[in-house]
Amino acid sequence: MPDQKITIEYNDRIVRQFLLATVIWGIVGMLVGVLIASQLNFWQLNFQTSWLTFGRLRPLHTNAVIFAFVGNMMFAGVYYSTQRLVKARLASDFLSQLHFWGWQLIIVAAAITLPLGLTRGKEYAELIWPINIAVAFIWVVFAVNFFWTLARRREPALYVALWFYIATIVTVAMLYIVNHLSIPTSLLHSYPVFSGVQDALVQWWYGHNAVAFFLTTPILGIMYYFLPKAAERPVYSYRLSVVHFWSLVFVYIWAGPHHLLNTALPGWLQNLGMTFSLMLWAPSWGGMLNGLLTLRGAWDKLRTDPVLKFFAAGVTFYGMATFEGPLLSIKSVNALAHYTDWIIGHVHAGTLGWNGFMAAGMIYWLLPRLWNKPLYSVRLANFHFWIGTVGILLYVAAMWTSGITQGLMLNATTEHGTVLAYPNFLDTLNAIRFMMLMRVIGGALYLVGFFLLAYNFYRTVRGAAPVNGTIEVYESVPAEPDAKLGFRGTFFNAPTVFSVLILVFAMMWMVGSDLVSTAGLAGLVVSLIACYAMLPSRGSLWNGWYEKLLLNALPFTLLTFFAVVAGGLIQIIPTVIVQKAQNVEDRIQVPYTPLELAGRDLYVREGCYLCHSQMIRTLVPDVLRYGDYSRLGESIYDHPFQWGSKRNGPDLARVGGKYPNVWHFRHMENPRAVSPGSNMPTYPWLLSNDLDASVLPAKIKVQRMLGVPYGPLSAQQIFDSVDLQAKGIAKDLRAAGAYVAPEKEIVALIAYLQTLGHSVPVAPKPAH
Amino acid sequence: MTPTPKPNPPKEDALRPHTFDGIQEYDKRLPNWWLMTLYGAIAFWAGYWFYYERAHIGPSNAAAVEQKLAVIEAERLASAPSLDDASIWKMSRNPVFVDAGRVTFNSICASCHTEKLTGAIGPNLIDHLWIHGGRPTEIYHTVQTGVLAKGMPPWGPVLGNKKISEVVAYVLSHHQEGEPIEVQKEWVPRAPQP
Repeated sequence: MPDQKITIEYNDRIVRQFLLATVIWGIVGMLVGVLIASQLNFWQLNFQTSWLTFGRLRPLHTNAVIFAFVGNMMFAGVYYSTQRLVKARLASDFLSQLHFWGWQLIIVAAAITLPLGLTRGKEYAELIWPINIAVAFIWVVFAVNFFWTLARRREPALYVALWFYIATIVTVAMLYIVNHLSIPTSLLHSYPVFSGVQDALVQWWYGHNAVAFFLTTPILGIMYYFLPKAAERPVYSYRLSVVHFWSLVFVYIWAGPHHLLNTALPGWLQNLGMTFSLMLWAPSWGGMLNGLLTLRGAWDKLRTDPVLKFFAAGVTFYGMATFEGPLLSIKSVNALAHYTDWIIGHVHAGTLGWNGFMAAGMIYWLLPRLWNKPLYSVRLANFHFWIGTVGILLYVAAMWTSGITQGLMLNATTEHGTVLAYPNFLDTLNAIRFMMLMRVIGGALYLVGFFLLAYNFYRTVRGAAPVNGTIEVYESVPAEPDAKLGFRGTFFNAPTVFSVLILVFAMMWMVGSDLVSTAGLAGLVVSLIACYAMLPSRGSLWNGWYEKLLLNALPFTLLTFFAVVAGGLIQIIPTVIVQKAQNVEDRIQVPYTPLELAGRDLYVREGCYLCHSQMIRTLVPDVLRYGDYSRLGESIYDHPFQWGSKRNGPDLARVGGKYPNVWHFRHMENPRAVSPGSNMPTYPWLLSNDLDASVLPAKIKVQRMLGVPYGPLSAQQIFDSVDLQAKGIAKDLRAAGAYVAPEKEIVALIAYLQTLGHSVPVAPKPAH
Repeated sequence: MTPTPKPNPPKEDALRPHTFDGIQEYDKRLPNWWLMTLYGAIAFWAGYWFYYERAHIGPSNAAAVEQKLAVIEAERLASAPSLDDASIWKMSRNPVFVDAGRVTFNSICASCHTEKLTGAIGPNLIDHLWIHGGRPTEIYHTVQTGVLAKGMPPWGPVLGNKKISEVVAYVLSHHQEGEPIEVQKEWVPRAPQP
């Protein structure tokens, strides 16, 4: 009986579904990308229509390409490879279908809500709270389906691709849930529980690791399966897999603060972010090396095989982007590059080069196998490769030039460094117009490539019969007598204990008081020496332990979780538990009036933060241009924080009071009326829409719950306050010749803009 | 018939025994240059952290920018075409100005006024008694044009506006705005103290 052979049919239907969705959403996402890139050059392409403006479509682009394009691609690749690597059909057809349709529904919901301006105002985390819950739920469905399949595996050991899938599932769940903690004010709106610096830190812990664990680790897993398959070559080095996997998942989490260098973020976090980003270089390149060196002996196939072309180029772009990342994390480089197009170029080298090309390679490899028919046109696929490559190079080169040019111009000074050389921001914007146009062309070429893929896809599968993979296995799972690791085996063994000791001692050295720090240093040295001394004699034993760990999915998952959770805990918990009062430096924000708060929610709705930062960095050119550098206390009540990540326009942290009300009115009506050469969209609807003040009592109640010091305002008091302030602004506007009713949205927005930078001094906290 | 195995096949070219869905794995050594980048980055982290966070040798972001802004302010003040009492008082509270002024003072002025400014050949500069006026612009003027009759050279052509402003700022850094000014007719030179 135990030797009876059975045939398993893999669930490849779900793979075909996800593959189709990948192509469709990929094209939609990239199309929106080309449109918003064009809008930066030609403001008319905003069509004076609220749901077509840059600020609302940019979140649609990022969410679509990350979660819809790469998400669907990841699910297709994970489901196809996992079944084969564990020799078992996916655990549940129902969960698979729920996963697919649930995810597509989420995407559709996102595509509707984002253009309507329903947003949480945090990058790549814009979706409103009901959709957040749906995402978390579907992710759990995915996790259950995946781990249930692992539990039923006929292949005892876990292959390296599965390590990366495990890390992805566990970490994305953690990041997503923490960064989306919010309190609803209505069915469609919520405020994040974190504010100011805490919100910034949590956001970029999430944002950076969305790149790490949504765009990188699953694709590395996919690389480890599909690349050796396509090249028909063994993977270069198992031990490199081990070292780069663990170092990657451990180090990545720490690097988030490199998005906040030179800001008001506490210095120790910035230094952690920078140094860990540099440490990330080698682990990332470990993946690239294992990919490229696996191709050794198969390079001749690259001439003919589009799949290998895409993989080789994809891995190369991965290497390029992961070298550039640490470079940009160096504080002085970041001072030039941050907020400029260089960052956009860096991201697109990764997404177009790595994600897009790995997706294309995988699709071209899978099509003939899932439909049992040769690819319609290999030549067309090769053409796709070349047009895509030219597109990426054009895009990235344009963005490098653009970012460095603008960065240098913004930082340039004259008269012995006392005066800005280009005091008008628009001078720097209009210097890069040509590069911005080249970017559109590069992106459009890349999009054409994906249209070719879609056509090739269609012609290949048209009339073809879908086919599901099968495998013959013995019915009984081969038992390994002492495979169980158990609790003690998982945690009480030399590699784990040494890792924990080294981390704890290093932390003691880093943040402890003098005595603790010295003890930490001593412990660190002793641990390292002991570890090094034991390596020759015990190394093979440790190897054996790891091999055994690979037979134990749950212990492996737990260790992965602990590796990724460490960095987040050490960075976030101190920032969250520290009393807010100690987090203010020497100034504290004045809470918004109800009208200003309403204006702020409009600012978030229109996605102003996507082009305007509210963070004057501790850098001379920033201070010369925008005023005194921002203090932590100045955004302490901001749910969500609006520090921004890109300056397509100037910083607004201290714009309040800089111009008269009527300047803002004319500017929102037609930016070019007061700022010739501006590329900002017009906002005519703000002048005609009435402000919905009825939601304010609920909003202020939540703000108070979150710790913003609003007194016990009744609804009527709130409405009266709104009315009074709005009438004052409308009167002032009227005196200046701009006629607008006080209840229009523009009045609230002006109230908000005019309060930016409004703070009161507080006693500076004593120096340590 | 099995082929005779090569004597001592290089270990790293051996494939691992297990295959996954047909995928095999080598177990090659980690490239040395790659390990060096890893160890180098870790060593950099330790050094950087020590420099900024443990030993506090490097300045914080805020301290660094404040210092640079002070330099700029100093540059602006120095190149300001006309000076009034208020702006010179402001200079005297600017550390960059005052530090630069101290250097000039000690190398040139201290020979008469002493490094403690308590006066010797020249008068005391930290008391409330002034001979040619104690308002900042008056002091500036005295340094600029000198009082040849009393042995004070005109320093204007030698030091230039910027250095003179610094020196005056340094002198005024020992004073408070609004403190009394008494006019003294004569300074009785004293012998330098041993």
